[in-house]
Amino acid sequence: MLVLQSIEKSFGATRAVRDVTLDATSGAVLGLVGENGAGKSSLMKIAGGIIRPDQGVVRLEGASVTGLSPRSALARGIVSVFQELTLIRSLTVGENLSLLKPPIRSWGSIDKARRLREGQKTLDRFDVPVRASSIVGELTLGQQQMVEIIRAVTRRPKVLLLDEATAALGAPEVKWLAGIVAAERERGTIILFISHRWEEIESFCQRVAIMRNGELVAHSAVEDVSHDRAVELMTGRPLGIAFPRKRPASGGTALLQAEGLESDVLHGVGLQLAPGEILGVGGLVGQGQDALLKSLFGDHPLISGTITVAGKRCDLRKPSDAIRRRIAYVPQERKVEGLLLHKSIAVNLSLAILRRLSSWMGLIDHKREQQILSQSIDRLKIRAASGAEPVGALSGGNQQKVLLQKWLLTKPTVLLLNDVTRGVDIGTKTQIYDIVVDLAASGVGVLLYSTDAHELVELGHRVLVMIDGRINAELSGYGLTAEAIVRASIGQEVRDGAAA
Amino acid sequence: MGPRPSGAARQGAFGATVTFIVLFVVDFLLKGGHFSAFDLKTLCMNALPLVLVALGQFFVVLTNGIDLSLGPMMSVSGAIAALTFSTSPIGAVLLAMVAAAGGGLANAILVVRLRLPPILATLATMSIFQGVALVILPSPEGTVPAGLTAFLTNGGPALLPVPLVLLVCAALATGWTMTTRFGIWLRAVGGDEGAARSSGVAVSAVKFGAYVLAALLAGLGGLYLAIATANGSPTIGDSFILLSIAAVVLGRVAIVGGRGSPLGVVMGALTLTIIGSLLYFANLSSFYQSLINGLILVGVVGFDMIRKRFLLAVRGGRQ
Repeated sequence: MLVLQSIEKSFGATRAVRDVTLDATSGAVLGLVGENGAGKSSLMKIAGGIIRPDQGVVRLEGASVTGLSPRSALARGIVSVFQELTLIRSLTVGENLSLLKPPIRSWGSIDKARRLREGQKTLDRFDVPVRASSIVGELTLGQQQMVEIIRAVTRRPKVLLLDEATAALGAPEVKWLAGIVAAERERGTIILFISHRWEEIESFCQRVAIMRNGELVAHSAVEDVSHDRAVELMTGRPLGIAFPRKRPASGGTALLQAEGLESDVLHGVGLQLAPGEILGVGGLVGQGQDALLKSLFGDHPLISGTITVAGKRCDLRKPSDAIRRRIAYVPQERKVEGLLLHKSIAVNLSLAILRRLSSWMGLIDHKREQQILSQSIDRLKIRAASGAEPVGALSGGNQQKVLLQKWLLTKPTVLLLNDVTRGVDIGTKTQIYDIVVDLAASGVGVLLYSTDAHELVELGHRVLVMIDGRINAELSGYGLTAEAIVRASIGQEVRDGAAA
Repeated sequence: MGPRPSGAARQGAFGATVTFIVLFVVDFLLKGGHFSAFDLKTLCMNALPLVLVALGQFFVVLTNGIDLSLGPMMSVSGAIAALTFSTSPIGAVLLAMVAAAGGGLANAILVVRLRLPPILATLATMSIFQGVALVILPSPEGTVPAGLTAFLTNGGPALLPVPLVLLVCAALATGWTMTTRFGIWLRAVGGDEGAARSSGVAVSAVKFGAYVLAALLAGLGGLYLAIATANGSPTIGDSFILLSIAAVVLGRVAIVGGRGSPLGVVMGALTLTIIGSLLYFANLSSFYQSLINGLILVGVVGFDMIRKRFLLAVRGGRQ
């Protein structure tokens, strides 16, 4: 049994975890849900022995495991799969799988052939469609996550902690993970499972703990909590996920037009984006959607193809070319691609509008800066935020909002959203949806890539479904359903409404 | 998909080997198509100190670090050896190695325990080691047994001279190290330190190992220099501070860590050594050496960059 007793943890002025007492037993998977910033990840890292709580103890089978190093946590059989993947991207899958205990020959050298063989055997045994000789950095995010998961399982954990382990997985892979979790439960592993998707909690877990603002607000058997009740507990308000109403696109000449885009990933992709239109991009993870968005932002080298912005053909070689044409791009990996984590919210926001704030001599109008910033920080609705807080101290969802706000300050005419709600809680999602729909209503064209089919259906006027760098189907009107998106994603014939 | 990492490292070593061979051929032609056993021995003898210290630098750079103190470390170990050889040759070697290990340990403590950026920590120890060398040996002096000097520079059969044997041994030992678990952990730490730590790699131990090994290899290099020149000099290692880094870069080791091969580093060191010989036979002042080294460095790095972009475009176009 894993017991957390009276756990307290603060980061600066933010109390991330407040007096939480919780236990997890083998045989019952414990789901941990809550909005972003509710303290789930902090609590999990404390449970995994990786961060030391300010107060309270963690016990595994009676022995204290409070505040260990990742290495000693592993030695005690506590294995975590973090939201941030911990594979070494420059090494191969096989090298990563056996990183801690590679097969050694008598003179100390690693037996490379055996490592490759055993790695491939492990991958095959768990049905992971990946080669052991591939470099991790060249896999899709979903494949990386699968590798990370099986690496955790092959360490034969006593405690398995899964933090948003489904975030990059498509529906079939989530099912695959459910099988693995069930097998681990049979084996007697204590499992903690963090997710934002209630369906997953229902299918993976027997017990659930719900957190809000660092506090534990419920801990019970899963069947005793309905979805609505769970959302209510998580958000503190009696609301399900509310998509804003779709408004018609205003039409007119295309803001953005692409034809025959070719690159090492894209194969003849074309699209048109009208003012006020929200154009969805769907499909399984890693089918070239990322490259498509980046190519429209000048951040993915094209071999051929034309891009027309506001009627003018242009050559987007680097992001600044796109920014000058008022194209904004909000990336998926916010940590790598868009924020200075050590700087305050205010600094991050004003970076985007320095030109607008500067006088002709290059001096910055601080009064105007303050005015604009305080408005937009209010609009962000970030808890415990004064604007002086370093962005790195915020939760993932809040970081995403800062990034979105940063781009909105540049007053874009085209907004490229790269799966921005992945791993974001319901409350923040709703806020992001509202912002996106309002923007579209004001005439901005939005290209929205999402791994969430419901999101595409509810927000998009049209949806392009991609397979292997090509557009496989265009769905709109009555033909635009979550089921049609899923069918088109796996290459099945879309029966009706494929109004291309 | 792209090349595999081990493949990428091998490719890097290939590029470094090609660079060396091109310069070797130029050198060969300048000398009028003449390459004797004597030339082979001289090349190895001249290259050996740089090869040793560059292999040391290789370990540190692999972890995404850098060690500026390795050159002065060579001066210190050489000075200690030169001063104590007359008392006890074995004691002298041991003392020089202990001093080197101590210096490496100091670097590791500053970088790992106190978390100083490697460039700052080793900038400080570089200056300290320079000072130590000057204090213990204010001017070039000391004695080295003549027999030892003769053996290590001139010994062995004509086609298998001792300097060549030592060079090959150093390369093989480093190559072997890279095939061990320590080797893959070095690459893991350099590839992504945070991920390596979360994956359970003993990051601190790996970095300690890298800095101590680097200092030991530098110590061996200094020892060889002292024996080959038959005395100790307090400033003899200074030129190796940057040469060791240049050799690693020419060896196509990723300067941000995680990727590279010992063979490439050896080729990088040999390339820099042969440039010296080239200048001599081209009748240019040795003052040009630094200039030419820099130009070759820029040329090689630039060429690799352009080649990579070209390959990317070609590969994309084929699909």
